[in-house]
Amino acid sequence: MEEWVGARWHRFIWRAADVSFPKATVRLEDVQRAVQMLFRAGGGDPLVRVAPATAQKIGGPRNWLQKVAGQGERAALSTLDEQTLALPPSIAVFADTALNRDLYLWLAAQGACHVATSAGWLADNLSATQRALQRFPGLRARYARLVNAHLAQRPPAARLQGTARALEQAVQAALQASIADGGESAVSAPPLPSGGAQPAAVAPVWLWLQALAPDPNAANFIAESDDSTAARQPKDNESHVKQDNKRRRAQRTEDTTSKDGLVMFFRAESILSWSEFVRVNRTGDDEDNQDYSQVADDMEQLHLAHRKPGETLAARIKFDLDLPSASADDLPVGEGVPLPEWDEKSARLVPNRCRAQRLRHRPPPDDGAQAPSTDGAAAMAQRLKRTSRQVRRRFEALRAAPRWQHGLADGEELNLDAWVRHQVDRRDARQPHGESPPIFSRRVRSERSLATLMLADLSLSTDAYATPQARVIDLVRDSLFVFGNALDGVGDPFEMLGFSSVRRAVRIHELKRFSEPWNDAARERVAAIKPGFYTRMGAAIRYGVQRLDERPERQRLLLILSDGKPNDLDHYEGRHGLEDTRHAVFEARQAGLVPFCVTIDEQAHQYLPRLFGAQGFALVHRPDQLARALTQVYIRLTAAVR
Amino acid sequence: MYRTETHSAPAIPFYAEQGDECRLFEHAFEQRLPALLKGPTGCGKTRFVEHMAARLGRPLITVSCHDDLTAADLVGRYLIGDGNTVWNDGPLARAVRTGAICYLDEVVEARKDTTVVLHPLADDRRQLPIERTGELLQAPPEFMLVVSYNPGYQNLLKNLKPSTRQRFVALVFDYPAPEIERRIIVAESGADERLATRLVKLASALRRLTDQDLEETVSTRLLVVAARLIVSGLPELTACRAAIVDALTDDADTAEALNEVVLAAFEQ
Repeated sequence: MEEWVGARWHRFIWRAADVSFPKATVRLEDVQRAVQMLFRAGGGDPLVRVAPATAQKIGGPRNWLQKVAGQGERAALSTLDEQTLALPPSIAVFADTALNRDLYLWLAAQGACHVATSAGWLADNLSATQRALQRFPGLRARYARLVNAHLAQRPPAARLQGTARALEQAVQAALQASIADGGESAVSAPPLPSGGAQPAAVAPVWLWLQALAPDPNAANFIAESDDSTAARQPKDNESHVKQDNKRRRAQRTEDTTSKDGLVMFFRAESILSWSEFVRVNRTGDDEDNQDYSQVADDMEQLHLAHRKPGETLAARIKFDLDLPSASADDLPVGEGVPLPEWDEKSARLVPNRCRAQRLRHRPPPDDGAQAPSTDGAAAMAQRLKRTSRQVRRRFEALRAAPRWQHGLADGEELNLDAWVRHQVDRRDARQPHGESPPIFSRRVRSERSLATLMLADLSLSTDAYATPQARVIDLVRDSLFVFGNALDGVGDPFEMLGFSSVRRAVRIHELKRFSEPWNDAARERVAAIKPGFYTRMGAAIRYGVQRLDERPERQRLLLILSDGKPNDLDHYEGRHGLEDTRHAVFEARQAGLVPFCVTIDEQAHQYLPRLFGAQGFALVHRPDQLARALTQVYIRLTAAVR
Repeated sequence: MYRTETHSAPAIPFYAEQGDECRLFEHAFEQRLPALLKGPTGCGKTRFVEHMAARLGRPLITVSCHDDLTAADLVGRYLIGDGNTVWNDGPLARAVRTGAICYLDEVVEARKDTTVVLHPLADDRRQLPIERTGELLQAPPEFMLVVSYNPGYQNLLKNLKPSTRQRFVALVFDYPAPEIERRIIVAESGADERLATRLVKLASALRRLTDQDLEETVSTRLLVVAARLIVSGLPELTACRAAIVDALTDDADTAEALNEVVLAAFEQ
């Protein structure tokens, strides 16, 4: 009963204190595309993604109702850093839906023009505003409306005291100045009271962004992690389908405990006091069913501690990925191939950065004790019978697409052109002419010359569930199986490779070679793929390019099946990973190949266009879409092959 | 019709030079070298050839290539007339005979076996053998072969054979610099400076979206079309929507988002 009353009270008081306009709410996902495109069109970094922001502490006066309800302390403010433009998940600041929508667009434009300088938050925003208005004069009228509506909501400076008052006056003056004169003339930032240049010191200015400076410690961490055996990523075995892509503020912290591994600190500001660290080892949390994203939501900033080099083996085994022992590992084939990697900072290819090692699946020892695999080749064939037949038929139909061949001695139709030529030749007694003149045309099946290489991402992230029923790896396996059957039916040569990586050792799993037939052994290897390790996609693509380079076929397809972003243990993540992959794709194009990515990642639209071009990838959401998607991809890519 | 002919047009078509391409083209003409124009759609390749043909006083024969274009379509064929067969020169043979400039637009679209007939014409032999009539045409000094193609074109499986490509003097084109593009819009559509400036600004915003959000970007041609619609009295946004946004994408979501960019760059 008490709980019930409490809940009702909370709901009541929260609504009463709420100053936003829920009826006019605009959600970020509804405007995401426009926001992203406006951001890039305004000159924003194409690698910056737009993501929902988490709540952070805000300033400004609160009324008593808000104080009673515990409201107005935190809000999702817009921030910008090297990787992310974080915008509020929803905006309900104004009573007018159109105005809330305009605010999103304005933030995108402002973000595109934002340059963090030492002049401080207020001055930076003013100059960004000015640049944005110059670049997008169409936003002027809307911006003026936004400023006026926002000024009406801002706390009156007269009611404040001391520094807060001066700050509020400065902010309001800046806002007013930015719309005077249609935003055309330069506005200099009003002088600020000392120590008050922080956005958290005033009521939130919804129209402005906070640019986060890059973490000064980040560089050190990268340098360290290059040779230490540090693992930043815990074993990724979460089975929840819901994706959480909120942008969280995180800061790397030195682990001061003598305990092991990846320790997250969090600042429990709202619980105890405002500046106390409470050490909580999140990796060793007792409760298994806890919703970690909820916990992370409640924290202002996540602190990630880096594991120090030279720590005990126990710590490493716990958090590093459990590498199989040599005897249990797949069989290595050959020496391994050195591969370069693209360094975006110096804009050059660093030779011999990683090494691709071909591996072949080692079948489990047949000692009779082991139960047969639940999803072997036979079971898979049974399960995918219908899809497989469907795709195969479509591929065969493609292959059979006829074309006209002219100048034949017999055929379906008379070629008028050839006939006329023949008549002329006959009149000309000097030229010899045969009894069966080549004047017919016939529809023939065309000769194809197409080699396909499929690269399947087998990194550990494919262990996550793409749908409630199927993991990503299941989709990848099914795709490989269906596609293999179909290509085999068409008769095009193809090779299938899986890839994963541990730092610079790239593991290339040999599933089917070009020279091998698509037989039970190959299908068994496909059925046996399992997720592990990381995604060094650039290296895998480069390896694929090398393989395809040896092929004599005129057209060569490089199909990549992946679930997500390139990432690896060392600095191969975020921007570096994306840039390297992008460059590898570019190299593939230069080599005359057609790289194409089939992905199962719903977030793919944020970065795949950057990697593969707007037309260079396809998104498959559900297993039952597989047949259709794969056929479409194939038709599109081979349409020009004659 | 897939070909058009301009016999020494009285006025020289307007062309705003981006670099030194006019002089380069003139030298190639003098040296009897064939030219290859590379550049994105609508950046002014065709206009450049028209301009140069008029400047050099040569007739221009343009062939738009497509994937069914055969060698016979280029060289010529027999036709039936009055119960008799008559040889009919194709555009290429006619250009060689009359000493014209023959312009093969989007040459990669043509079949690979078709482009081979260009080989003897494109090297120092400058000959066009016509097998069916047994003729061997020797190109006069005034004849020039010009081909164009779009290297970034989406159909990635099509490309020019290296053996073909290496016979040509290459001229690389791109969208003109903002200042030149503004002049082009003013000259082509009669737009005022203000409108032209805004269109160029819009173009630079939209061009930042290429590859990632858009397959192809806005061409100078589309800007001119939009400007002409606006000058003829259509509201700016309607014109931009029709001439630019809907020309760039078929995807409704992308079109909506593009429209926001246009609105932001353009509204009063």
